[in-house]
Formats: sequence, C-alpha cells, structure tokens
Amino acid sequence: MLPNRSKTSVLVFLLPPLLLYCAAVLFPILQSLFLSFFSWNGISDMEFIGFENYVRMLTADDIFWRSFANALIYLAICLVLQLGGALVVASLLTSLRRGRELIKTLYLLPAVISTVAIAFLFVRIYSIDPVGLLNQLLHWVGLGTFERAWLSDVNTVLAAVSAPEGWRFTGLYMLIIYAALIAVPKELEEAAVLDGASQWTLFTKIRFPYIRPVWITTTIMATTYGLRGFDIPYLMTSGGPGQSSELLTTYMYKTAFTSTDFGYASTVSVFIVIECLAAVGLILFMLKRKADS
Amino acid sequence: MRRLFRAAAVAAAAALALTACAGAGGSSDPANVSPAGEIKPREISWLLSRPADGAVINIMKKLAGDYAKDHPGFALNLITTPDRPSYIQKLETLAAANKLPELFDTDATPFAQQLAKQGKMVDAGKLLKSLGTYDTYRPGALDYQRFDDGSLYMIPFQFELEFIWYNKALLEKAGVTVPKSLDDIPAMCTALRKAGITPIAIDGQDQWPLERYVAYQPFREAGPELVQKLKKGDAKFADPAGQKTVQWMAELGKAKCFQDGFSAQGYSDAQNQFTSGQAAMYNIGTWELPSLATDKLNPAARDNIDFFTLPTTHGAVTSANEFVSPSGIGMAVNAKTYDPLVSDFLKFALAKYPAEYAATGALSPTTNVQTAVPANATPLYKKALDTANDLGSKQAMPWDTQLDPTTNGRLQQELVLLVQGNITPEQFTSTMDETIKQNAPKFFK
Repeated sequence: MLPNRSKTSVLVFLLPPLLLYCAAVLFPILQSLFLSFFSWNGISDMEFIGFENYVRMLTADDIFWRSFANALIYLAICLVLQLGGALVVASLLTSLRRGRELIKTLYLLPAVISTVAIAFLFVRIYSIDPVGLLNQLLHWVGLGTFERAWLSDVNTVLAAVSAPEGWRFTGLYMLIIYAALIAVPKELEEAAVLDGASQWTLFTKIRFPYIRPVWITTTIMATTYGLRGFDIPYLMTSGGPGQSSELLTTYMYKTAFTSTDFGYASTVSVFIVIECLAAVGLILFMLKRKADS
Repeated sequence: MRRLFRAAAVAAAAALALTACAGAGGSSDPANVSPAGEIKPREISWLLSRPADGAVINIMKKLAGDYAKDHPGFALNLITTPDRPSYIQKLETLAAANKLPELFDTDATPFAQQLAKQGKMVDAGKLLKSLGTYDTYRPGALDYQRFDDGSLYMIPFQFELEFIWYNKALLEKAGVTVPKSLDDIPAMCTALRKAGITPIAIDGQDQWPLERYVAYQPFREAGPELVQKLKKGDAKFADPAGQKTVQWMAELGKAKCFQDGFSAQGYSDAQNQFTSGQAAMYNIGTWELPSLATDKLNPAARDNIDFFTLPTTHGAVTSANEFVSPSGIGMAVNAKTYDPLVSDFLKFALAKYPAEYAATGALSPTTNVQTAVPANATPLYKKALDTANDLGSKQAMPWDTQLDPTTNGRLQQELVLLVQGNITPEQFTSTMDETIKQNAPKFFK
C-alpha cells in the first residue's frame, strides 16, 4: 500500500498522460461511434439514421465481408511470420556464440525503414515486367513456371502484401522474445538436461512456459498491429486488383476519403475497434486457459 | 452540438492544411463577381493538384510576383498535391471543415457540384464575362469544366488532346496497320502479342487510364450523353451501348492488350515501356508532348513514333475529330473568401496567363494566343498542336469525373478484374448496375 503522499504523486504524474490518452484515443472512438449513426458526406447536413449503417454493413455489403475475410488472412500471415519467425530466430540466437549483435541488427533493420520505402521496394521485388527479384530468383532455381505478376494475380496478392508487414516486424518481436529467453534461469535448464530432457522438451516445458507473459504481450501487440495494418497494402495495391487485397482499414479509409461517406466509414471503424478488443480478449482467454490447465 | 462534432470530425486531418489555407472573410454571394470595396493586399492561397515544377505553377508564381510589386503585402501561397487521389482527399477534408482556401482545384465532379449548389464557389461563367475574357476561351475548354446543367464554376488553365501514340516499326513488324475502328483493336493486340510485342502500355496503378477505355465505345455508340444517363441510373450497363463496352473491354483482356501485371505498374513504368520500344501503343495526352515529340525522346524510338486519334466505329454517332479533349483540373474560386483583392488579382493574372502559357509550348485554353513550338521539337509536336484546330463540338468526358465517387471506385476495381479475366462480362454488368442503383441517388437525386 502506498502512503498518501505517494498516491498523490502517482495521481499527479498519471493524470496528464491519462488526459492525453483520453483526448487522443477515447474521444475519437466515441466520436466515431456518434458519427456511425448518421449519414454525412462532409458537406451536407448530418442526417440521423439510427442503426441503418450497421444493418447495411452486416447484411448488404459484400466488400465489407470480403475485407473482413482478407483482414483475417492478412493477420494470420503476419502472425506466422512475425511471431513464428521471431521465436525461431530468437531460439537460434541463444545458441549462437558469435555474431549475435550483427544478426540482431540485420533483423531489426526493416523496422526502422519507412513503410513507403518498404512498399516501393516490394513492388519492385514482385514485378514481372521488368522482372523483379522474386521472379528472377524463381527463374534461376528452375522454378520458372511459378513466375507471375504477384501483385496483379488475385490468388497471390493478399499473401504478397502481407509478407512485407510480417518481414518488417519479425526483428522487433525477435528482440523482445530473445530478451525473455536469455532471462530463463540457467539452473532450471541445466537441471532439466541432467534429468535427460531433449531440446524440444526443454523448450516446451521450461523455456516457453517461463516466457509466457512476454509471449502474451507480443501476441497482443502483433495481433492488434496486424488488424490495424494499412499503409503497406494501401501503398502497394490500394486494395486491388478488385477487392483481392482490400482490408477493413483500407476499405474504411476509402469509404471516408474517396466515397466521402463519413457516417458509414465511422461504422466500419467502430467494427475495427470492437474486433481488436475481441481479439485481445480471445488471446487472453485462450492463453489463460492453457496456463491453468 | 452537431456543429461541434462536425468540426471536430475533420479537425485532425485538416489541421496542417488549415494553417496554410485560412483566409479572410469576404463576399458569400456566388453571383457577385465584382465585389465593391478597397483592395487590401494579403496572402491568399491556392490549393492545387498540378506538378510542382509545371508551367501553370511557374507562370502563376511569376504573375503573383508581378502583382505584388504594385500591391505590397500580397502573396500567393501555392499548396500543391500532384497525386490526384491524395489531393481529392485533402480537398474533401477541407471542404468538410469549411476551410477551403481562396482558390482550389477541382474537376466537375458530383462532389464539386454539391459545393456549387451550396453557394461555396463563385460563378466562373459570370466571373470570366465580367473580366471580358469569356469569349476568348475555347468552347471545349469551358465545356469540359461545366456541370451537367451547363453551369460553369471552374476556370481552365490548360487544353489537352488525348491520342493513341504508336510505334510504326512495331506495328509493321507485327503486320498490322493503324486501326480503322475501335473494334479492330483486339485483333491488332493478338497480332502484336504473336510477334512478341506488348500491344499497349498502361498505367494501371492510377486506375484512371484504364477507365478512359470504358468511355470510348459508349461515346461512339451513343454520344457524350450516355455517361450522364448512366451515372444517374437512367441508363444501364445491361443496355446495348453498355454491353458493347463491357464486351469490348473483355475482348481487350482476352487479347492481352495491356502489359503483364499492368494493374501494379505506374505512370513512369508505362511511359518507359512505350518510349523504350517495348510496347506498341500508349494512350496519353498532349501534356506529354515534351517527352514524346522532342529530342529528349530516345533516338531509337524518335523517328518511329506517331499518333492516331480515337478510332470511330461502324454507325458511330460522333465524328473522328471528336475525342477526349480535357482542359485539365479546373480552378474554383471560394465564394466565402472572394473579395476585391482576389477579384483584382484574378483579373490581372487571367489576362496575362494565356500568352505566358502558350510561350512554354503548351496549348492555351484560350484562342487569342499562338503556341510557340519549342526549338527541340520533332515535326510530331506541331502536328499534335494543329489537331486542336479541327476539333468537333462533342468531347468524350473521362468517366472518373462524372460518376459518384463510390461507383467510380467500384468501376475502377471491377474493370481490372474484367480485363484480367477474373470476372465475366455478366458479373461485371450486374455488379456495376447494382452499385449505381445504390449510390447514384445520394448524389444526383
């Protein structure tokens, strides 16, 4: 229990950031909620239409459902690349004796490059005419039949726009997980090895349970970042061809700033907020249940 | 409360622009083009979507400087966003915040028409008449800026003609000639592909270039009025004229007319493909004359390049000398901030602009000046300029300025799918007719 004076100090120091948070996060969310009950194109009078936007979104908008499905696939690809890739690299790093710093720096490098640069870089990598790096590599290794216009093909574009986002943050999560892994007490691992535990058992029974709190945090971070993914897909394909790489975020943005349907765009944005909260709740629930069992 | 929310809803996005664009108050009557009172010099802003080092901006900078010599304290703040989609978003955000600057660029879109109906734009027809310059403008340049009801709220600063540029050597290699009809193009593409040549280079990323093609058949088949009916739901893609263009677009796709992966390729990619001799054709306007008809062009391609105007069709209702001839994005004058200073500056600038613009080698929107052909131009340059002397009275309007924004966005998306063969003409037709049915009433009725 903190003494009274300390409580006051905490309150004084917490209040300004809390107010800032309310103004920058909570107020816009409430504002979007308010706008979602209106029909408004920005210059006309706002017309109250109740739940009409929600009914339209859930029952009569094929692009919304397509974007939602795309967003889930995009999220899945990002999570596999970011968390899976990060865990593998971090685990390998712990057993490396030399060159750790260099490898950490190289993996982290994409996280500090501007998303615009990454988007343009990958547009060139995926290009078919002129031949980009990916198609050239496929040609060199004798897989020429797989050469294609990755960003124009409706079957490959979603994976193609997800990969740069996954690649970009693998290094960041790798660093977090690596820091957690090296904090696992050596005596625990040594005791398990003496008891005859294999590397796999060591990982699943000792290391992973030990880093579970960090894993939960990184999973929540990666999931919410993935659900909010916008800039790289928008810059690379603008949701196309057709709606093949349209995400809820790009759809919301276009609805607001291209279609000037601010009311409906707010409805989609409210859905994104609910979706993020639901995802975080689900992650906590699943991981807690697993920990309890 | 509503007003508070309304203002706050756009405040974040508009914040940066507001500082640059906030103007002084003035007349708010769109028809009052000659406001009375003293000219009080101040800084005014022009929110525009034109190349930062382009002729329009350079000339207006110079003219503003000249005007400021006699009016100390005057300055013209040019805020440019050449990327059109980004610009439109900026414009719409500022319009929503009711913070448009003194001058702003816009096409004759349904959104702009709503602004005009709300009295937010000065009547440009009356303004030009009051300045005594209305009759000097090319009728086509003004018509391009008009809304459907004939009203004029934007002032043109350019006049362009859109051609299909082609490489003579590549056509010869494939054993094909310039198409006599639009319907000849798919077969022409097939022959070019067989000869290992990309038929048409196109900027797929920006979407408007492909949307040009969908306008061609209806313009020949049913004239410029068709898009005006279609956008309101009074005509459909399911009708014969609509079906003609849908089937034609699908045929262009089947014949692989556009370069592989075109939907992810940009403006410079397309231009490079044509100027480097990889693609046989390229549909672009006279704004590219300095790249296509001067000694800047790759010498290997220079002598092989020519152009043809939009081919007609059997039974076409429009003539060969009628095609896309836009006068570029127009400049609107904010009625809220229109005052004696803005009026006086426009009078000064618009009187001097045409001569300065024509001197750069571009076609002026007015007929009272002669375009100077640059010293490094090829004969093609003058041939392109001369085409402007023989234009018919009808012009094909780009559909991206005509349709409501949601329908336009969906059309651009579905067109790519249709041309790539991902959807059938029937799917395209039903999707687009349904989209227009849902969205047109909000904008046009």
